[in-house]
Amino acid sequence: MIELHRVSKVYSVGPVKVPALSDVSFRVGKGEFVTLCGPSGAGKTTLLRLLYREEIPTEGEIEVLRQDVTALTRSQVAALRRSIGIVFQDAKLLPGRTVYENVAFVLRVLGTPRREITGRVFDALRAVGLSARAQAYPPQLSQGEAQRAALARAVARKPLLLIADEPTGNLDEGMAAEVIEIVRDIWAGGTTVLFATHQATLAAALKQRTLSLQNGRLLKDEG
Amino acid sequence: MFGFLLGEALRDLRRAGRVAVSAIVLITLSLAALGAFWLLSSNLAEAVVQFRERVKIVVYLKREPSSGESRALVERVRALPGVAVVRYVGKAEALGTLKQVLGKDAAVADALPQNPLPASLEITPTAEGATLEGARALVMRLGALPETDEVGGGVEWMEQFAHGRRLLWLFGLGVGAVLAAAAILTVTTATTLVLHARRDEMEIMRLVGAPEHVVRLPLLLQGMMQGLLGAMLAIWLLVGCYAILGPRVEPLVRETLGLARLTFLRPHNVAFLMLAGTLLGGVGGILARGRAEP
Repeated sequence: MIELHRVSKVYSVGPVKVPALSDVSFRVGKGEFVTLCGPSGAGKTTLLRLLYREEIPTEGEIEVLRQDVTALTRSQVAALRRSIGIVFQDAKLLPGRTVYENVAFVLRVLGTPRREITGRVFDALRAVGLSARAQAYPPQLSQGEAQRAALARAVARKPLLLIADEPTGNLDEGMAAEVIEIVRDIWAGGTTVLFATHQATLAAALKQRTLSLQNGRLLKDEG
Repeated sequence: MFGFLLGEALRDLRRAGRVAVSAIVLITLSLAALGAFWLLSSNLAEAVVQFRERVKIVVYLKREPSSGESRALVERVRALPGVAVVRYVGKAEALGTLKQVLGKDAAVADALPQNPLPASLEITPTAEGATLEGARALVMRLGALPETDEVGGGVEWMEQFAHGRRLLWLFGLGVGAVLAAAAILTVTTATTLVLHARRDEMEIMRLVGAPEHVVRLPLLLQGMMQGLLGAMLAIWLLVGCYAILGPRVEPLVRETLGLARLTFLRPHNVAFLMLAGTLLGGVGGILARGRAEP
């Protein structure tokens, strides 16, 4: 599903070179749940951005869904992303659209037939327990609800891989637990999950394979 | 899918608000100016055509030829290039025409001791012979005939008129182009604002793998809709002005240009203006995209 071989990423800030990842290698098999753990600045977000080709590595090879992501054309990148669901710490919901419209928007832009959209949106909202809030606008949602809406948007497309970049970072313990439970359900449905968090306790509680990053290096791969 | 993209474009148009309205107004003004000059120019062109059909060159003869000589002269002149019709007008006929023109004062002509009017040839040139160059050549040929005393009439004034029409058309094109450039800039600004407003949507679209045309098309459509709306308003404005001013101006046009009535733009002119507006808006949309996107 995912394979990284000696991947490094260095950002250039003017004449200064800032290493974000150094010599990272690992594999994630189909259907796995992998936690990516490390403090802020460890390189988690950079690593995830490399997977969906928002960034290109300075060195190394990356394969996602059997595709060399560094060699993809623009349209191939789009095709790859159609198989990946992405969730961010800040949910990234469109504030001028309702929860329903936020989820439907993604289906519409991907050309889902109109007659299928309503059913799929409500299936996704039911899966995250938000069907009662379908007509609410993002500013009316709690952070936990916003994150669940973002999850619904990610899974409505039935992705093969779910990339969650600190989805619980802004949530209190109760809301975080709800979000984790939903992610687990998605994983149980057969989706491969890569879950990034800076909370070591949360990573431990998930009791899944954990990749520990620090200063851009992969320190441990355990579980 | 197209309906969805169109809906997104409409949503963007609403977002652009007053800037979009300014862009539409500018497109309206530029196309209305272009259309107005086009309308004037096409009516002037029609007048030129009518004048050309009526233009006559008169060759005054040194002396009145005998009937055999006049027939031979007419045949010779008819064979000249640029000549369509030749009619011989004898001294007596010329005097008769003068009397008709004088009407109740015709007795003045009767009081003359002798007929002072010369015999002449009235020549209608062909289409080529009625152009400035053709007429000049024809006048030279006619002037070279041994029977010719003087050549009158001509098409020089008419060509000046045609030249004026071309200048008017160019002026209109210039004004239209300046306004069109301003319209493109405004559409670009409106679309750039929209781009900033819909950055989040575009980011989400790209992250979920929407095809590039789906990401970009609403911007283009939004620009094109502004253009089309501007063009429709311009045509409506022109129709309104034509309906209100046309009847008031027509008597003057009849007197000066000899046209029975002012004609409005033809359907293909209207279609061109609509297309031009849509393209103007589209260009604005594309330029904005280029300016704001990597």
